[in-house]
Amino acid sequence: MARKPNPPRVAALIIGAGASGAAAAKVLTERGLKVTALEKGPWRTRETFGGDELANINRYNLWPDPLLNPRTVRESADQESTVDLFCPVPQMVGGGTVHWQGWLPRFTEDDFRIRSVVGDLPGATLVDWPISYADIEPYYSKVEWAFGVSGEAGANAFEGPRSRGFPCPPMPVSRYAEKFHQGCAALGWNSFQLPQAALSRPFNGRPATVVSAFAQQHGDPTGTRSSALNVFVPDALRTGRYELRPDSYVREITLDAGGRARGAVYEDADGDTVEQEADVVILACGAVESARLLLLSRSGRFPNGLANGSDLVGRNATFHEYSAAVGVFEDPIYAWAGGGYVSASSFQFYGHEDSRGHVSGGHIAAAGVGIPLPINWSLPGRPSWGAEAKRIDREYFNHSMAVAMVLHDMPQHDNRVDLDENVRDAWDLPVARITLKPHANDLAQGRFLIDRGADILEAAGASQIQKVYIDRITGNCSHQHGTTRMGDDPASSVLDRWCRAHEVDNLYVVDGGPFPTATGANPTLTIMANAWRVAEHIADQGGAG
Amino acid sequence: MADRFFDEHQRATVEAAMARIIPTDDAPGACEAGTIDFLDRYLSGLGQIYARPDGSGFEELTGRRAEAWQRRLDIIRARYVAGIAALDDRSQARFGRAFAELAPDQQDTLLTELEPRPAELAPGSGEEAPPLQQTKAEIDLEFFPLLCLHTRQGFYADPIYGGNRDRVGWELVGFPGPASLAEVHSGRFSTLAWFAERQPEQEGDSRRGA
Repeated sequence: MARKPNPPRVAALIIGAGASGAAAAKVLTERGLKVTALEKGPWRTRETFGGDELANINRYNLWPDPLLNPRTVRESADQESTVDLFCPVPQMVGGGTVHWQGWLPRFTEDDFRIRSVVGDLPGATLVDWPISYADIEPYYSKVEWAFGVSGEAGANAFEGPRSRGFPCPPMPVSRYAEKFHQGCAALGWNSFQLPQAALSRPFNGRPATVVSAFAQQHGDPTGTRSSALNVFVPDALRTGRYELRPDSYVREITLDAGGRARGAVYEDADGDTVEQEADVVILACGAVESARLLLLSRSGRFPNGLANGSDLVGRNATFHEYSAAVGVFEDPIYAWAGGGYVSASSFQFYGHEDSRGHVSGGHIAAAGVGIPLPINWSLPGRPSWGAEAKRIDREYFNHSMAVAMVLHDMPQHDNRVDLDENVRDAWDLPVARITLKPHANDLAQGRFLIDRGADILEAAGASQIQKVYIDRITGNCSHQHGTTRMGDDPASSVLDRWCRAHEVDNLYVVDGGPFPTATGANPTLTIMANAWRVAEHIADQGGAG
Repeated sequence: MADRFFDEHQRATVEAAMARIIPTDDAPGACEAGTIDFLDRYLSGLGQIYARPDGSGFEELTGRRAEAWQRRLDIIRARYVAGIAALDDRSQARFGRAFAELAPDQQDTLLTELEPRPAELAPGSGEEAPPLQQTKAEIDLEFFPLLCLHTRQGFYADPIYGGNRDRVGWELVGFPGPASLAEVHSGRFSTLAWFAERQPEQEGDSRRGA
């Protein structure tokens, strides 16, 4: 392959330009460091996004194409793996924030000390985090204000103390959120408008977010949503110190003679292979791909993958799971308004209670059923064709909603990401193989949360309530964590509390990989806050790692 | 013809099956929506995979993306060709005529036999599917589930793809939809009018419970 001259060395190299990579880039460049970012996917502008359900939901316009980026999955190590679109996230500048609706709740104080709160759970590898809620709280506020989040301080009765309110009031109340509030109120449960990555009013020079039906899983043609693409990437570019190279696929992290990270070898947009050297290398590819890249980076010093002397890279992977109780109402819900995810939430069953017979919990929230647009909406049990299918479409499309849960799945040593040497992607590299078996606690907790969702629907006056329990974890949340756990003990963690590899002192991971446990809430606010925290620490160290 | 993949007989067979998948009653069905045109255009080549988001035409696919889509289309085309032939074979064996010439109840009988058994159901493919966030990969579907999916897509997708003629699909379910892709692209399409009628005061919060 042709070898171009290598580009000049930079202070920091960030692999990935999604939520975490863009947050780190903003902080480092604003602190004066020169940063180069390598993003596997394209750099799409808002003009390339639109209100096209078929393209965006069904034809991989934004989702990764499984023919180019397959993954494989199996339940245990003695099984053959099968190709599966497991836990996909858009691979492009902006990452998952390009097409999300952006539910941004904070984690609770107990999330950071979960092992101390719940005790030992056989089969699970629950641990306390090496950082506390108080450590991350200042960065929650920084992200909420810099990124642009709409919400109401104090509305979530189970949230930890906050140093500052939200920059914008909550988003308007959708009809499905209104039903959720009514149900919770009837039951005496706390509910609140879910903090969201959108602007309910103009803020910081940006206009209010356009509330379209083409929102969840659609790109934003108006540029008004809060996303890495709309906010943190432009912030970093404004410094003049951020060089973002799209269509640049990293094949390997390289080492210098001393065993420190030297840089990354990648295939650039022209198909040429070059190496970018840097003082500090920061992985921000998402927990699955960051683990995969470490495992692909084999050397004499690290024969089992970079920073993997402990054999922990890829292990303790957690993915949440999304499922729901669904019901129908006499009056119209119009769940496509706001794309089905301008929502209300309750943390009433988020924290741990011994009396439930299972560990921990997750948040539950109002939503449309699936993607509640005409092609992809459905009800459980609906036949796939014929007069009855048509009748159900006609009668219930505008009258149905879900109360969904985010499952707090338990970390387990054998639930892991590694390389599948038998399946290669379009760049001829082994793909990520997910080995995953739900813990009994995951199934019990899921049933409990979905039952509570059904309670809310019933209390709000719904009929035909159906509970869709989970029997396995399919990766349908696109949330991923745990593959490069942070911790104080190198024997039980990949990264230290600053998300620096125990074994390579200028190598960092800032996506969901460092999360020691999954928690029961959407992770991206915390991913960005943690990336901000780590980037400030790197800058405080003078960038030398 | 640039927008065609099927020959006349294949087209008539698929169109007849689509008319059973979303039948016409007092409201339009697959026939009136032109779902056959949607599918024939899709299968015709790489020219109409993605509409340009401003509605001004279709994107030109290049590189790895084009290669992947060509592979996908080849798989789906082969599945249709084989599936249509098998359906006609079944029709001839059972009723002595081609599928397209059968009475609707005879067609329903044959299509029912093509439904996947519950044990074979892949997640997201239809009955018993949980309300997931992601859809099943098209190429993993057998002929009949694939046809059901494409009929639904042709009935409900933006009219720029050749189906949902006169927005009959959207009207059936009461989706107001944008007037065109350009309306969304320019930021003119807002759904706030379909939010709750009563909005809380910004300062006080009456919703807080326990």
